[in-house]
Amino acid sequence: MSGVTLALAIAGLTVVTVLTRSLFLLLGDRVKLPPRIRHGLRYAPACALAAVIVPQLVLVDQTMNISLMNPRFDAGLVTIAAMLTTRSMLLAMSAGMATFVLLRALV
Amino acid sequence: MRRAAFVDGMRAFTPALIATAAWAMVTGVATVRMGLDVGPALAMTAFVYAASAQLASLPLIAAGAPVWVVLLTATIVNLRFVIFSAGLQSYFRHLSVPRRLVLGYLTSDFGYLLALRRWGTGAQATAASPEKTWFFLGLAVANWATWQPLSVVGILLADRIPPNWGMDFLGILALIALVAPSLTDVPSIVGVLIASFVALIAQGLPLKLSVLAAVLAGVAAAITTEVGSEHGGEHT
Repeated sequence: MSGVTLALAIAGLTVVTVLTRSLFLLLGDRVKLPPRIRHGLRYAPACALAAVIVPQLVLVDQTMNISLMNPRFDAGLVTIAAMLTTRSMLLAMSAGMATFVLLRALV
Repeated sequence: MRRAAFVDGMRAFTPALIATAAWAMVTGVATVRMGLDVGPALAMTAFVYAASAQLASLPLIAAGAPVWVVLLTATIVNLRFVIFSAGLQSYFRHLSVPRRLVLGYLTSDFGYLLALRRWGTGAQATAASPEKTWFFLGLAVANWATWQPLSVVGILLADRIPPNWGMDFLGILALIALVAPSLTDVPSIVGVLIASFVALIAQGLPLKLSVLAAVLAGVAAAITTEVGSEHGGEHT
């Protein structure tokens, strides 16, 4: 990709960021969403993040591995459990990383 | 009052600090590893300010894909922000167009998650107020001020961090720790499980459509669960 094309792509990507993030803030009162749908949007970010996270935990080289033999999957479970019990992000991440490093060495 | 709300927003960002810092470095490192020179990488980070869209575009740019393919891919990856903007619309409808553009541009996954967690879903939940605007701006500025310097560090250090350092997995763990506190009510748990399932079975979809499909399915499942449990409650 040439320098000019790359500059164009970066400028275009900036416009994409602004438009997608502002779309309903700009359309605002002209396009209405039903209250029930708006209420349900509370669930959207956790779902989106789960959709990004989970494939990274259970897909190993394009093959699904949902078992305790998968260190990434175990580390994910440990992190969730540690976060729900301690509410400390640092503790949860340390527990997850320790699980990952230990099991990767063992499995 | 405004300053207090702004500072309150910056403080509320604390739980997302580590996750954001880790992701910023991962994204910075990946941007250079996937073929951009330091100059364009810095420009991309400074202006585009959307990690998932950047990470999805980089392989296409490296492969010399047409600009329109790059932009369409980024738009689809960013569709979740369209959903977020609809969620935020009632809070910011009274503001001028430039202000709405700035707040929109600065909306991050973490900012939206933390703001909605604070504002809740009660009767007053969707009422706009200057405090909410300044609280949100505080979150957004804290996110930006964490993200940008660490992305730059990632870009500049890209050649020095060993690949087996586990930076990418640290980012994933940080994201998990950020989502976990949402998993305290049944509709949220059902939504996240369904979203995870759909993300996995939809991996084959082109253009990262799996993420959008997962969000739609997860939200629908959460609402259905919520409505179902409300009806169940009426009979007891």
